[in-house]
Amino acid sequence: MKKSLLSFAAATTLALGSLTLAAPSAPVLAQAAAAVSPLDLVAPVAEYKIYVTKATQQFVKDTKAFTDAVKAGDVEKAKALFAPTRVSYEQIEPIAELFSDLDAAIDSRADDHEKAEADPGFTGFHRIEYGLWEKNSTAELGPFADKLLADVEELHKRIAGLTFPPEKVVGGAAVLMEEVAATKISGEEDRYSHTDLWDFQGNFDGSRKIFDLFRPLLPKDDGEFVKKVEGNFNRVDVILAKYKEGNGFQSYEKLTDADRNVLAGAVNTLAEDLSTLRGKLGLD
Amino acid sequence: MIDEPDSPVREPRLKPYSPVRRDILKALGLNALALAGMMAGVAPRPGLAREPAAGGNVATAPVSDRTAEKQPFLGEHQAGVVTPRPACGMVASFDVLAQTPDELVRLFRTLTERTRFLMEGGTPPVRDPRFPPTDSGILGPVVIPDNLTVTVSVGSSLFDGRFGLGPFRPKYLERMTAFPNDALNADLCHGDLSIQLCANTADTTIHALRDIVKNLPDLLWLRWKQEGAVPVLPEVPDRPAESARNFLGFRDGSANPDANDTALMNRILWVQRGGEEPEWMAGGTYQAVRIIRNFVERWDRTPLREQERIFGRARDSGAPLDGGPGASEFDVPDFGRDPDGVHTPHDSHIRLANPRTPESETNLILRRPFNYSNGVTKSGQLDMGLLFICYQANLLNGFITVQRRLDGEPLEEYIKPVGGGYFFTLPGVRDENDFFARPLLAAAHLVPAAG
Repeated sequence: MKKSLLSFAAATTLALGSLTLAAPSAPVLAQAAAAVSPLDLVAPVAEYKIYVTKATQQFVKDTKAFTDAVKAGDVEKAKALFAPTRVSYEQIEPIAELFSDLDAAIDSRADDHEKAEADPGFTGFHRIEYGLWEKNSTAELGPFADKLLADVEELHKRIAGLTFPPEKVVGGAAVLMEEVAATKISGEEDRYSHTDLWDFQGNFDGSRKIFDLFRPLLPKDDGEFVKKVEGNFNRVDVILAKYKEGNGFQSYEKLTDADRNVLAGAVNTLAEDLSTLRGKLGLD
Repeated sequence: MIDEPDSPVREPRLKPYSPVRRDILKALGLNALALAGMMAGVAPRPGLAREPAAGGNVATAPVSDRTAEKQPFLGEHQAGVVTPRPACGMVASFDVLAQTPDELVRLFRTLTERTRFLMEGGTPPVRDPRFPPTDSGILGPVVIPDNLTVTVSVGSSLFDGRFGLGPFRPKYLERMTAFPNDALNADLCHGDLSIQLCANTADTTIHALRDIVKNLPDLLWLRWKQEGAVPVLPEVPDRPAESARNFLGFRDGSANPDANDTALMNRILWVQRGGEEPEWMAGGTYQAVRIIRNFVERWDRTPLREQERIFGRARDSGAPLDGGPGASEFDVPDFGRDPDGVHTPHDSHIRLANPRTPESETNLILRRPFNYSNGVTKSGQLDMGLLFICYQANLLNGFITVQRRLDGEPLEEYIKPVGGGYFFTLPGVRDENDFFARPLLAAAHLVPAAG
């Protein structure tokens, strides 16, 4: 496969050269994948599974407390628990998303639905967020709370029985950054509560966890890559630290344009760089 | 996969080829599509993207003779300003995310590298397929130049406190402020850096944008973009080329100054050394971009005579209204003989924009607009209009003065500027060692002066 690709590229260059479409010389960058033995992947994948299991257990526990508050009609308590409850979900989002039916039920946003907030298919966290912040009330939220808890428990059950494919785990580091780049930089994820920075933190923690677990398997000469990725994770940490408040974060609306730009640059670069992690480890 | 052709070579497409050559190419393992694409470069014929020859199937790609056309990248001026406008254009505006002078230098060096490759065409590096590919692949495994130009300009905000460029800010570069008829949308305005992309097809401009975005994730953040196109015309032998029409049905650009007149361009378009502007700007030009919505339903319900008096030209021929029978868009109106505005109303668009007095000679601008069509408004009307782009050596004497003269024109009832910005188009990249913005960065001592 690789051989035919190379010969094709060479032939094309040759032929084009004669047709004045002169291609630059040496067009082939044979960036070879590292030879990581499947055995080497066992330990980090197992450790990641433990990470996910712990996060899921935390998520079930927190969701129970959150939905209890909603059902008890305690608006203030429910508001206080909304963002922290989501953090463990955001950490493991690449795995949670393997179950797309549950992800949609738990975490879809109003604009995923044709009738937006009024759509009967709009359930889960953001439906409850809408009620708490826009209506300042738990009225009518009871059934959504029940469904959310049931969906989260089902997720827990499914994850427990899941075999973790290494390429999905490794690919997840970039997927978490794609999450941030696609919907969180704009502040549209938690549009009623503006608690996006909590989600950011969850996504970054989850991505960094994967990177840290697999970093030792990277080729020894890939120090520049490691340095660059860690540099961008650190940039993000510095920005997020500026907005820490108590155990959590200030409103996303407080984020300055300059800091938003730093986050955007770091997120997009992490997404771009981490998208090569699978290749670097030779995972198809 | 791309290794082997999976369809028989189609004879009608290969006619211009000698059998010998075909055999060579076959021996090189080229597939039929790549072959057809390259063929186009060998036997240029006048024409446009058109349907494939007989034997093509429904989803067979339209073909073009012009994919090998290319514009020179190196030069005193950037390409894409006086370059004849191809069918498709786009302006993309970015925030610069660079935090340090070194990062700013890397931004302009990388932009230079990408532009050189994209305008020249060629084969992108091939990576192990377990990696994401280096190229989006939307133009196929070989990137065609397709007449692409990439024109890089900087906004006034790049000269804020971040990099110490303040003292080197172009004298007339400012943040665009609203004119009376504007309804500016903050999401479609301004930017630290603009890139104008023009090519024969929209796919080529999109490919270039995606390449730039992918290669500069840590240094550029896309704020807005607007694509546009101009309608193509059949070539008529022995007739001068006509100006393209805008979405109001009128020709746009008839009175454009002649971009082939170097002396004129040096006077009205290119910033000259030794003038009032910082030295680094020599060879550059000011760029004004405006996204101007046209209320086309309303326009289409307006009597033709009124439309023509609003513009000051006959719609079909483009001739000025004082032109006699058989006049064309290239006839020059003589406002001096029409002091009362009998033929051409005083408030018509062309008379206000260019009164053709000795004084208004200093207000000439070079227009390079495209038409855009974006979708439907909440009111069920077409969201379309003009991606207005113009260039001039002095932004105040040029676009700003012309637009001020137009403020209150009757055409305003049918148009609404909603976005855009002012930028300064950097001087050209002179040679292999040069790169975008080098004179500016050297003036600010961020890079060594050119040797």
